[in-house]
Amino acid sequence: MSNSVAADLTEVRAAAELVAFGLQRRARPVEGSDYRALLDRYRSELRFRDVVDTMAEGLGLEVLGTPRSGIVLAPEPGGAFATRLADLRTMDQAERLVFGLVLLGIAAYAYPQDVDFDDPETKLVDVVKVDEFLRSAIDTLQGQEGGEGTPEERARAAAEVYADMPQLITTQTGRRARGCTLKVIEDALGWLVDQGAAREATSLGPDVYHLTDRFRLLVADSAGGAALDALRELRAVGGAA
Amino acid sequence: MTAAASVVSPAADATARARWRALALTDPIARLVRNAAHAGIDDELFDLRQLALAAVDLVVGSMGFAREATLEEVAEDLTALAARMRPDRAHQARDVAQVVLKGLLNEAHEHRRFTYWFADLSGERVEREPYSFRLLSLREAEYGPVLVASDQAITLFLHGLDVDLEDADRALAHVLQRQLDDRRFDAAVRTAAQAERTSVGIAATLSELLDATRRDVGSHDWLVDVPERLAIARRHVEERIGEDDRFLEHVQSGLDAETSGDVRAASGRIVDLLGRVRQVHLDLERRLVGAREVFLAAQVRQRLAKRRRLRMLALGEDVLRPALVLPREQAVEVTTAFADRSLGVSVPRLVRFDDLLDQLWAPPRQREAVEPVTEEAGLDEAAEEDVQRYPAAVVEAAREVLDGARVEPARLSDLLDGCGSDEVAELVLLSALWAFAPDPVADEEEPDGSVELAAGLAAEDDGTRLDHRLARGRDLLLRAAAPEEGGPGVEEDELELVAP
Repeated sequence: MSNSVAADLTEVRAAAELVAFGLQRRARPVEGSDYRALLDRYRSELRFRDVVDTMAEGLGLEVLGTPRSGIVLAPEPGGAFATRLADLRTMDQAERLVFGLVLLGIAAYAYPQDVDFDDPETKLVDVVKVDEFLRSAIDTLQGQEGGEGTPEERARAAAEVYADMPQLITTQTGRRARGCTLKVIEDALGWLVDQGAAREATSLGPDVYHLTDRFRLLVADSAGGAALDALRELRAVGGAA
Repeated sequence: MTAAASVVSPAADATARARWRALALTDPIARLVRNAAHAGIDDELFDLRQLALAAVDLVVGSMGFAREATLEEVAEDLTALAARMRPDRAHQARDVAQVVLKGLLNEAHEHRRFTYWFADLSGERVEREPYSFRLLSLREAEYGPVLVASDQAITLFLHGLDVDLEDADRALAHVLQRQLDDRRFDAAVRTAAQAERTSVGIAATLSELLDATRRDVGSHDWLVDVPERLAIARRHVEERIGEDDRFLEHVQSGLDAETSGDVRAASGRIVDLLGRVRQVHLDLERRLVGAREVFLAAQVRQRLAKRRRLRMLALGEDVLRPALVLPREQAVEVTTAFADRSLGVSVPRLVRFDDLLDQLWAPPRQREAVEPVTEEAGLDEAAEEDVQRYPAAVVEAAREVLDGARVEPARLSDLLDGCGSDEVAELVLLSALWAFAPDPVADEEEPDGSVELAAGLAAEDDGTRLDHRLARGRDLLLRAAAPEEGGPGVEEDELELVAP
């Protein structure tokens, strides 16, 4: 193969700096900053882009895009930078399922169709509305699936775990307590904020959050596909069985 | 069957669609006024329509320039306006601002576009034609979420008439010329003001296009539409700059020769307005020249870059619904695969022995929320201002407010009311808490600066209730610390921060 090109060491350093900026959740490419200069370089120089992409790949990362808010990196599963739901809190299977459903619900609420992934508009989500969205999806299923599967099978469905959990339990001080779905949604959005995938929109109310471009790209180009693959695999196993 | 008869008259029919659209454009505002009643906001007390127009004006006015208005800034400006409308109900002003912004963002329909149906009666069969538009939408910018106005919002901003902005810009120049020739100076001032708004409107429309040249989403037609629009915009702006100079010279020379005071005053205002129009056009030209380079580079890149993958995925239908009906042990595989990927990157951190020891010695503190991952000061960032710290100006303002309590005892509620911004108020609040119940394990790196500010202050609880926008609990009485203070009487938890 003769298409290997030697990279200039200063270019490699600059590429590493850009990846490092992408790993810092609070770094922002404001006008005049080094970060902005590197980001513009990534957008306009194909060669530099290749160096950054290659370096990221070597580190177990993938560059998903470069919206105005900065470079978005996705970790390879099992890589050094991967985040696992289980790392955020010790939880049993039911709790893990509810948290997973909530994250999926937040994404499905904000980006119901494929065109929404290309829309740069920042989506707003509200804790209570996400819960209503999930519960109404479950109600619709229960209404439609009345005849499908045995009652036993239906009782074991994931939807039942969510439906069983109360919407709200409060602490003595009036806050949401653990064990209710609103608290799970609040915590999940809190994690997304910590991960730079959401921001609190306090000017629109206490329970309102913006989903950032980072979340949009992560769902569109990484998480959505991974979930779909997992579903396909289960269907293949089920079909083969 | 005969061919479709005209609905009213050929002339009326020809403009029906445009006039219908102008009507539809204001409907979201009528709707937000109706919905506000459910939120307990009385339209007779607060002029919600004017606030909605003010929001659009603020957003459009900032769009043509380097920095767009953030959601927070617009919310604050609207709050101030609402408070001016009803000073006796200033406590409701923030809610009013929220209702207006949520209405313009179409919160009632999950922030989707407003859609109206036009019955097209021009053919033999009646065609129902959707008219969908947004007024304001949110975008992520490098400095946070910013508000962007749609072309329809810009139309609202300009008298609500559905006209081509560049045509309007040109037409206004003719009208202005005529008025100046006829020495109708008062009318000319109004036309010049309208011309200024039109040029700001054009700047806002184009800023959206310029932004699109920087983005890497394939939502624009790069081959035909974008270059064409850029070329038209550039031609228009260049032509306008020449005209602006000619106008300015014309009015200026008239001004020098004029003796009537009224005419001189009117001409002076016209010169100011035209000067601003010219500046907007010049700024636009500069950005359009730069945009061409960005556009060409983007075109090359789009041609060469590999398309990552197709995003043909309807999350609700394709993933959420199937996952919900799966048995729970299978569903958890799907949801975990999704969750792990949607959370993005985590930077592994090595534990330092010193830190670990400090943590083990520290008394446990209860937190309700999950512990946020602390950020590493990376590379050049270390030298920059710590984002977790309050800006120096805020600390200084809080110090000034608290100094008042050192001179004579003051209630926390009064101190909070005397704060210029929420950030200052938050810091004053934290300092008051600190003065009331100092934390014995505080370290020198207290990020909010409240330790230092609270030095020499004592807070006392005399049972008065505090019910402030930012905090609820006990209204502490702050004063200069006496030599020996009694122990705290209530728990720190009893003063609860309200999310701002």
